[in-house]
Amino acid sequence: MEVKMKARDIMEPVKDSLSPDETLKDAVVKMETAWRGENRLGVKGMNVLDSDGNLVGMVSIKDIIEAIIPSYMELTEVADFTWDGMLEEMATKVAHKKVSEIMTKDVKTATEDAPLMECANYLITHNLQRLPVVNKENKVVGMIYVRDIYYALTRVLH
Amino acid sequence: MTLSTTIESKPLVMDITFWMATTIFIATYVMIVSEKVHKTTIAVLAAALMLVLKVLDQHEAFHIESLGVDWNVIFLLISMMIIINLMRPTGIFQYIAIKSAKISRGDPLKIMVLFAVVTAVLSALLDNVTTVLLIAPVTLFISDALEVDPVPFLLVEVFASNIGGTATMIGDPPNMMIASRAKLDFMAFIYHLTPIVLVIMVIFLLIVKIVFGKKLKTTEALKERIIQMNEKEAIKDPVMLKKSLFVVSIVLVGFIFHGAFHYEPATVAFFGAGLLLYLSGTKNPHKYLAEIEWTTIFFFIGLFIVIGGVVKVGLIKWMSMQMIGVTEGNLFATSMVMIGFSAIASAIVDNIPYVATMNPLVVDMAKHLWPGETGIALLQHPDLMPVWWSLALGACLGGNASPVGASANVIVLGIAEKSGNKISFLRYVAYGVPIMILTIFISMIYVWLRYYFFSG
Repeated sequence: MEVKMKARDIMEPVKDSLSPDETLKDAVVKMETAWRGENRLGVKGMNVLDSDGNLVGMVSIKDIIEAIIPSYMELTEVADFTWDGMLEEMATKVAHKKVSEIMTKDVKTATEDAPLMECANYLITHNLQRLPVVNKENKVVGMIYVRDIYYALTRVLH
Repeated sequence: MTLSTTIESKPLVMDITFWMATTIFIATYVMIVSEKVHKTTIAVLAAALMLVLKVLDQHEAFHIESLGVDWNVIFLLISMMIIINLMRPTGIFQYIAIKSAKISRGDPLKIMVLFAVVTAVLSALLDNVTTVLLIAPVTLFISDALEVDPVPFLLVEVFASNIGGTATMIGDPPNMMIASRAKLDFMAFIYHLTPIVLVIMVIFLLIVKIVFGKKLKTTEALKERIIQMNEKEAIKDPVMLKKSLFVVSIVLVGFIFHGAFHYEPATVAFFGAGLLLYLSGTKNPHKYLAEIEWTTIFFFIGLFIVIGGVVKVGLIKWMSMQMIGVTEGNLFATSMVMIGFSAIASAIVDNIPYVATMNPLVVDMAKHLWPGETGIALLQHPDLMPVWWSLALGACLGGNASPVGASANVIVLGIAEKSGNKISFLRYVAYGVPIMILTIFISMIYVWLRYYFFSG
């Protein structure tokens, strides 16, 4: 390979973000209708930015499902006794929770010129799907997805 | 079994060692109450300071029961924890909870009362923290199913746990400590504390019915959710469950007879732990041993040494003289003061450091009152017995008054908050303080009637 690619070369631009004070209900709609390239295809994870545009968290569909599963189910084995419709009931209960309550707060970022091996290693060891890319001012400029790393390496293997 | 009841305290000399020990002791209490640093960290550091500053030497701290670690209490706790850790995965506790909810046919008040009874009984046999850790999550689940407010259920369980724990020697750490120091056996607690706890429990449940009975409403459709649950699905490992119940039965029988056969309670529990570990066939004992609540164990170890330090320099003896001064050696007055003061102290401080301090104080007081007596004759002097029971009742029941009064309270409030049902300090004390006052009042009447009025 002639060109040694860096984070900026494979990242996808991100147009949408959440604010910490938004409700889960609004967040879900935003994520469903987010831009992916030229189309509103929706995303499975979105950055949370404060009013100054700084990255303060990330919400993925896993965070949302975790928020719906009651905390006590972690402490006791009652899954066998759950009833039909429990998931839907719990979903309505958390609809008004704020994004800040359920988001992953400690979000690792990559710089624009980070080597792809660094990004790949982080995504795989932490079992993540996406890694935000920030510029020198620490503002989010894009997102690296696991599949984009995979596409980059398939080009080598072909 | 050697009876080392001699407290090796020097005559009170207020030298530099005395002041160092007293300062560490007071600072330990202040730091525990302020909750700025974890209480176990404080206890361990303070204990280490007692050794480094040569208030106590290591031999005294580790090998002399009256000045250092009471290994009987430590191994009783550790062994019971191992047994519970091995039992928990069988699903027996979920089974009991779901079964109780089903027996209640989904009626919220009946569930509340039955869960309170289950909590009280389990707390009497296991430790309170374990019990509420098992029952509180299932309670949240059941109240979700019935669409009722879980907070009253959780509060009732906290109170039931502290009341039930008072009933037996192994129910609450203060009782284990008192039993070990006063050389009292399991049956002594059954004979002296269980009857009054039963009375308190019945009155408590009547109050629960009056206070919450009308407020708890659900629908027939929601009750059906409970009725549909099959409690048998909770049992994950029936073979291990049988082994566990077998060992628990042996341990209970062992407790009943340990006094008669001259075994320490820790010996009985330690045998149970060893036997169940073996019967479980586990290739990984590390898992069950790692799950021992080492933070709690080291809190005890640290406190025993800190208290040992102030025993040695004579502070505790001095405090016991003050206590005798206040009550003028009248043991009825001492018992009443002991219940009331213990209840208030336990509401503010953890009852474990409190009882660790009071135990040697009571022994010192006894030595002053009956200088000719030693050993069992001193520790179990007929006139001293009501004082021990008063200490147990006050320290255990006082824990109900405030959110930090007992470990079980802290655990349940934590679980409630995490589930989005935060119980404020004021909401807690609005129930906790009246319950404490009532149960303490009943205890005072009991001690007065049984040990002074009827025994002349």
